Amino acid sequence: MAYPYRHPKETRILSEAFGDPSARTLEGWKKRGGYKALEAALNMTPEEVVGVIKESGLRGRGGAGFPTGVKWSFFKDDGKPHYFLINADESEPGAFKDRELMRWTPHQVIEGAMIGAHAIRAQHVYIYIRGEFFEPAQILARAIEECYAAGIAGKNVMGTGRTIDVTLHLGAGAYICGEETALMNSLEGRRGQPRIKPPYPAVSGAFGQPTNINNVETVCAVPHIVNNGGAWYKTFGTEKSPGTKLFNVSGHVVRRGNFEFPLGFSLKELIYDVCGGIRDGRKLKAVIPGGSSVPILSADEIDIALDYESVAAAGTMLGTASIIVMDDATCMVKQVRRMVDFYAHESCGQCTPCREGTAWLAKILRRIETGQGSEADLDALLDIGKNMTGTTICVLSDSAAAPTASSIKKFRDEYLSHIRDGVCNARAVAAGANA
Amino acid sequence: MAEKTPIQGGNPGWAGELGEFAHLKEEDVRGSAYVGQRPVEGIAAGGINAYPYQLEERHPERPLFEGPYRERLNKILERYPDKQGALLPALNLAQEIHGYLTPEDMAVVARELELSPAYVRGVATFYTMYNRRPVGRYFIQVCTNVACNLCGGDEVFDAFCDATGTEPGQISSDGLFTVMEAECLGACGFPTAVQINDRYYENVNAEEVPTILESLRERAQGTDVGSVVGPSVPDAIRKTVEIASGNGAHGGHD
Repeated sequence: MAYPYRHPKETRILSEAFGDPSARTLEGWKKRGGYKALEAALNMTPEEVVGVIKESGLRGRGGAGFPTGVKWSFFKDDGKPHYFLINADESEPGAFKDRELMRWTPHQVIEGAMIGAHAIRAQHVYIYIRGEFFEPAQILARAIEECYAAGIAGKNVMGTGRTIDVTLHLGAGAYICGEETALMNSLEGRRGQPRIKPPYPAVSGAFGQPTNINNVETVCAVPHIVNNGGAWYKTFGTEKSPGTKLFNVSGHVVRRGNFEFPLGFSLKELIYDVCGGIRDGRKLKAVIPGGSSVPILSADEIDIALDYESVAAAGTMLGTASIIVMDDATCMVKQVRRMVDFYAHESCGQCTPCREGTAWLAKILRRIETGQGSEADLDALLDIGKNMTGTTICVLSDSAAAPTASSIKKFRDEYLSHIRDGVCNARAVAAGANA
Repeated sequence: MAEKTPIQGGNPGWAGELGEFAHLKEEDVRGSAYVGQRPVEGIAAGGINAYPYQLEERHPERPLFEGPYRERLNKILERYPDKQGALLPALNLAQEIHGYLTPEDMAVVARELELSPAYVRGVATFYTMYNRRPVGRYFIQVCTNVACNLCGGDEVFDAFCDATGTEPGQISSDGLFTVMEAECLGACGFPTAVQINDRYYENVNAEEVPTILESLRERAQGTDVGSVVGPSVPDAIRKTVEIASGNGAHGGHD
């Protein structure tokens, strides 16, 4: 199937240009109406721009869902240098939306970032992109070059006398640098270890100056909001979660990929209609709705709307809307162990509950997976997880504990079969159910 | 100062002031076959990201940041409010020149940025993309994290190890390949994702692995340098590398 697949039900705003290489060039982007929003924003005062974004109700797409307009309103004209950072360190297992946005629409990212920089009175935009994203970085770098050559970025932005520099900064392989303060440390040439808050970045962020940081997808929505108005954006989505969102679906579905829908779209419809259901005629077993760090949903819990509030009400989180779908032959113990292995590898080692906890969770899960575990191990996992939640500087520790605890709660039988019989019964149960 | 008395009882691990094992040499303890490689265990442990225990070598200091690299370093420095901010780009540049970083390379970077060598080493060891050992011409990183794992990431990883005849992190006997297990590469919709040098291979399955390796072997016969890192990169590739590492012609920082 040709990629990117386009489903007729989609509402494509951010992803409209996916699959069209001409949108990568400045000329192609301008043909699509590019940089009109930046021009309009530069003719507004920063407060007016913030007002439009506030009106739209746009919320951060990096996982936390903080209102973007409110975030931008923290910045006053205080004479200090301000920095506008773009978090393009997309490393959450399951997430692949920012990569696509940068690959297909680099100018959308730059335009949104520059509008943001104007709104918070920043003179410098740093796009922190993970080091593995070589191709998106190359495409973005070319787009930045084009902007400098055309007078869109640099000393005299579109003839307004404003200076907004745009710099691409490559990371070097560390999941934790997606945490905002770790990213700032990394940008400053330090180890990517999260900082204790307060001070919040808006007071003292990168290089000790007031700093704003937004996810790639968040800033991509900004030009559309400036062009069409905050009220227009509110017509999509739900009251508390307005706008559209890229849902990136991976795992055992027929059609994997990025699909753009208004927030509040049905998870069930997304999996069974848009993505074409489960592969190979199998049945659904579990869904992770927001990247590997959120609690797992079992097959009977997926009849929910995909907006921040509804997903939270179901006991998990929308996060980056990175939906990982697992069929009934999946060994949950193995997959949870693999996720926890990841967190153990990526723990920055600053806080003891995380450094020790992630490693122990991984060890015990590996023991259970290979049939060496005991039933007391399940209580140990839950106990360790409890001590890892809310006790550390950042939430990486919680992220390892969440899938562990939720999988033990929802798939306890499977753990017990590993422990008692020393084997995984997932395939056998699935075969029996399908027979 | 009070006279030192041997610690009695409480600390059974205490080896005495001179060390009761002082007569033992390294090889008596570790065995003569030990060449300083850390054992590979668990996920992505050891391999090219670990320092060898430095029993033998000090690497000679190699030239870094000469000619065009000096210009590029200067350009990088313009973009940050202080020199330390340029540390990651400078290390990226250093790795691009030689393919991996020795402690001596890090010391050169430290000198350029007015930092201490220990500080630079502390930062460089934090990040997984800085290779502290040489790697093969084609550095193959297979994602085995959850989204790829569901769709056969482990099999693809094993297939790469088998087909190249290497353990994770080793260089194959022909010098062409190093295979590593990677954490999520951010291409979860296209499993299994494999990164070979700077390029992503998507939707890879285990059966395709020999074909991929064969195409790389063929490319290695020609002028292809394989890695974007290394001293003999042709200009065309070099140019895109410069752009991608943020080293293009665009403006500086006030």
